[in-house]
Amino acid sequence: MRSIKLENLRKSINKGLIISKVNLNIPAGKFFALLGPSGCGKTTLLRLIAGLDSVDSGIIYLGDEDITHKPINERPVNIVFQNYALFPHLNVFDNVAYSLKLKKLPKIIIQQKVFKILEAFHLQDHIYKLTSQLSGGQQQRVALARAIVNEPDVLLLDEPLAALDFKLREKMLIELIELQDKLKTTFIYVTHDQFEALTVADQMAIMNHKGEIEQIGTPKEIYEFPISSFVAKFVGTTNILQGQLSNLSHESEISIPDLGTFKIHLPQKKEWMIEGANILMSIRPEKILISKKEVKNFSNSLKGTVQSIVYHGRSTQYNILLSNNIRLQVFEQNEEHFPQEVIDYDNEVYLYWQKENAVILEK
Amino acid sequence: MAIKKHTPKIAFLSPPSSEVPYAIGIPAIVWQVLFFYIPLLIIVFSSILKISDQGSIQGITLAKLTVFFTPTYAKIIGSSILLAVSNAILCLFIAYPIAYFLAFRVKRFKNLFLFLLIVPFWTNFLLHVYAWFFVLEREGFLNTLLRWLGIISEPIHFLNSIFAIMVMMVYYYMPFMLMPIYASLERFDSKLIEASMDLGANWRQTFRRILLPLTSRGVRSGFFLVYIPSFGEFAIPELMGGDKQMFVGSVVSHYILGDQTGSLGAAFTVLSCIILLISAVALYWIIERLLSSKVLNG
Repeated sequence: MRSIKLENLRKSINKGLIISKVNLNIPAGKFFALLGPSGCGKTTLLRLIAGLDSVDSGIIYLGDEDITHKPINERPVNIVFQNYALFPHLNVFDNVAYSLKLKKLPKIIIQQKVFKILEAFHLQDHIYKLTSQLSGGQQQRVALARAIVNEPDVLLLDEPLAALDFKLREKMLIELIELQDKLKTTFIYVTHDQFEALTVADQMAIMNHKGEIEQIGTPKEIYEFPISSFVAKFVGTTNILQGQLSNLSHESEISIPDLGTFKIHLPQKKEWMIEGANILMSIRPEKILISKKEVKNFSNSLKGTVQSIVYHGRSTQYNILLSNNIRLQVFEQNEEHFPQEVIDYDNEVYLYWQKENAVILEK
Repeated sequence: MAIKKHTPKIAFLSPPSSEVPYAIGIPAIVWQVLFFYIPLLIIVFSSILKISDQGSIQGITLAKLTVFFTPTYAKIIGSSILLAVSNAILCLFIAYPIAYFLAFRVKRFKNLFLFLLIVPFWTNFLLHVYAWFFVLEREGFLNTLLRWLGIISEPIHFLNSIFAIMVMMVYYYMPFMLMPIYASLERFDSKLIEASMDLGANWRQTFRRILLPLTSRGVRSGFFLVYIPSFGEFAIPELMGGDKQMFVGSVVSHYILGDQTGSLGAAFTVLSCIILLISAVALYWIIERLLSSKVLNG
């Protein structure tokens, strides 16, 4: 278990810049998720750490050691590939034992280690099968076992669950969290799926399309306090409203054209927060209360018309058309079988939210 | 009662569909019988039948076969095996890196490279030989180059030597090795190389444990595509080696084309075919052992 530190990392492939000036601290023994849209360079970043690609400039530290130019087979870092890259001519045992045999460990030790890990991964009935005879979930576990049996300082996972169906993915996510908890190895998990990242990560980083790190924080920090509309929109669902900052000296407000002014909360003073500045307000759909009646004790309220209703099971999504022709999404928990108030198409409704639950963004 | 459709157990024996009858294969079968099986039978019979001067069959004899049970012919067959094996091995060692380069390193001009490898086959075989004469002769390209580089002072006599035979053999048979290896490398997932290196293997270990076992099919078929025809090759030794080197092919052509010795040629053909078959099986077994994952993976 060692930390990873990336300093001013740069990488371009075929003259296209993939990663530009990435600085990142990945603490030792943590489950770290790297989240970004497809093609943002997150897999490239992982390949640079593994040594599968070489950096153009910048330094990679493993603990205190500079491993930027260390050959791939000497790095105490292992990767689980997206399509597993299991050796098709070897059985499960030989796949998992691969790295141990290269280390020339005694046969008996290899057997002990491999059997132990295969048992831990519920693969004891498949030891002598070829990997092509296994199901997707089993292949995934073989890939994990093969990487972990080597006891790496850092385990890299490149979209490891992308090929699995939803139920299995949820199960494997829990298994991964428990595994990391037990091993205390530093895990770096690359994904484009915000649900996976939020589920597994102790800490996560969001990458944008330009190959830059946009925000680093715990899942809760990222979800509740995104620092840009990119992060707010990419992680979870949100409503973004555009307006001008006003009444800064007294109680800050945002004035939205054709809609009115709303109270906002500015926990930290930023230099761009000046009177009349163009700002964005992000409100998560679940932070808005929807009702046909007037409700007191909310700092902000709005009127709108129900345009469509999508039933999700545990929640219902309402799409509300506002007077300025902008649509807002609202989620409501389905707490009761027989709700007192039934909201239907074309109903006039009130939307309420507390000012602390909206986030003010510069861009 | 439900009507069960008859489904044949062996798919190979059943026609692909009722619209495509067996008859479609008849021209090929007729061709094969007329120009392959019948000539083969003629060769076999004429090597063991005792025929009088008047042309009547007088029984069966092994005399024509035993004529060749002498050290001279054993040496000729031995050198043919040696020629074929060394040709196959040389081709393998040259073709594998080229195929690897083509399959994994060349991105944009892959088809052009493959095209360039095929192009020589469009010209006549004799033209290839003459081209190599120009390279290898006393005042040829190779001697001029070596003298210009100052490596030699007097021209070397390259032609009419084992060296010239080998150069021409490797040159001519290389594509037969390259194509199957390239085909197996094309199918190879290069992520497996990365996975192997990531798990701590160096390049040599990755080659032995992953790349070679997974491309063994291409290596094997390439080896025999080169080995079998090289064994009977007679044009190249004849043209490049002068009269000095005798191989199976030269003996066969000598007897078949000679006066009244056709049946001896047939007998020698049968004998060398049997030996080719035995040597191929032996080589297959050796290669299989060398490529088996047990040996390679320790």
